[in-house]
Amino acid sequence: MKDRETEQRLRREAKALLEQGKVDYIIGFETGSLKFTTTPLITKDKDSVDRLIINPFIVNNLSEYLTELKGRVGIVAKGCDNRSIVSLIQDNQVKREDVVILGVPCPGIIDLSKVEGLVGKDRDELDDVTRDGDKVVVTVDGEKKEFPASEVLFDNCLGCEFPTPQEYNILLDESSSLVADKTASRKGIETLEGMPQEQRWDFWEKEFSRCIRCYACRSICPACFCERCFVEESEPQWIAPVPRWQDNLIFQVIRNIHVAGRCTDCGECERACPVNIPLRSLTKEMYDLVDDLYHFKAGMDKEAAPLMTHYETTDPEDFIK
Amino acid sequence: MKQESEWEPKLLGFLCRWCSYAGADLAGTSRKKYPANIRIIKVPCSGRVDPLFILKALRLGFDGVLVSGCYPGDCHYQTGNYRARRRMAITKKFLEYVGVDPQRIQASWVSASEGGKFTEVVTEVTKGLKEIGPNKLFADER
Ligand code: SF4
Ligand code: SF4
Ligand code: SF4
Ligand code: FES
Repeated sequence: MKDRETEQRLRREAKALLEQGKVDYIIGFETGSLKFTTTPLITKDKDSVDRLIINPFIVNNLSEYLTELKGRVGIVAKGCDNRSIVSLIQDNQVKREDVVILGVPCPGIIDLSKVEGLVGKDRDELDDVTRDGDKVVVTVDGEKKEFPASEVLFDNCLGCEFPTPQEYNILLDESSSLVADKTASRKGIETLEGMPQEQRWDFWEKEFSRCIRCYACRSICPACFCERCFVEESEPQWIAPVPRWQDNLIFQVIRNIHVAGRCTDCGECERACPVNIPLRSLTKEMYDLVDDLYHFKAGMDKEAAPLMTHYETTDPEDFIK
Repeated sequence: MKQESEWEPKLLGFLCRWCSYAGADLAGTSRKKYPANIRIIKVPCSGRVDPLFILKALRLGFDGVLVSGCYPGDCHYQTGNYRARRRMAITKKFLEYVGVDPQRIQASWVSASEGGKFTEVVTEVTKGLKEIGPNKLFADER
């Protein structure tokens, strides 16, 4: 019910922005081609704004497109996307005045794989999946089944600290009612931390042996905005272009270092990976690491200096001889 | 045939030319003995060291990496070592989580007058590397 109202409001606001010439583009979500899914909608056409939707499946971090579009853009942003936009502003990749942020307080996005696992059926066989407060209602063969939302939301949503956008032009709804479960959100990391060091390395060797270096993780990541990535440098060539696990792992470690303080734990890289490498067990660790060391959270303040261009004379140095 | 006990770790040192490199020089000219395990690359500032250099060194088979710069407040370029400090911290801690022994990634502040400290640091780091053994991280068979 609530989503419908938010959606109507979004369409009105988006149409007005285009009609009044306040933006050149609108970036939002429309219905996807696969059941329940959504897909990005990028449009200049005021009539196609009626295709814009808000529902529990608006998973993508649309800020990725900001660096590719010229002109002023109206963009739909959930909590994490919103922080990615702010982070891009901090890095001078986007000008604040060039974006009109249509903020959506986010109750968490439903992970259809988790639903499939719980129900034991493929998504195509489900009649409906809806959110009702702290529950998710799945209709199969005319029968309704209820699950706690915490069992079917994406892991990164369960760890979300700021589901309601803080930096916006228009907030499409009041604050959200996210059910968080910090432990569940760090499950993968905790399992790894419980292993001896050598076993952790073996784990990642095994995972990165599957990497085909498609760079989907890099392409989808709003924080990976470099025009020329170190992996394509040839003099010197830092890593071999062919996908060997050693170089695949180096790529991902360095990518994580490059996005430190920029990554908002949106979870997009892990979802984009075609061979299901648990990339979030790296990105979320880095996210927490910079918070522990420097009390830095990405994309919280558009005036703040980016983490790695800044320093404090009191930064920890207990590891330095 | 080389015995396992004869194995000597290879340590790659990135030394800032204004301080630690001069410190190493001083150790040499004052005939202090430090382990010959270190191979030195002179850098303009500790802030020049990209985490990629560290990964590349480990990939090439170095057993450990030492980044050494001027003390906080003494950097020739004012802020290079402060930036290096953040980079080294996240690189070391993150790689430890991934599965690299933190002994393999080391940092120090050594001034141009500290030949003695340079000797101590290299001795200590080399000793640590001997304890943990050869770097087989990137070997196909471990
Ligand atoms: S998306 Fe997955 S397979 Fe593709 S480069 Fe990234 S880690 Fe490798
Ligand atoms: S590294 Fe992954 S989780 Fe972090 S911002 Fe990029 S896509 Fe999102
Ligand atoms: S991995 Fe690093 S160099 Fe490559 S695009 Fe991402 S941030 Fe840029
Ligand atoms: S000049 Fe020595 S660390 Fe910067």
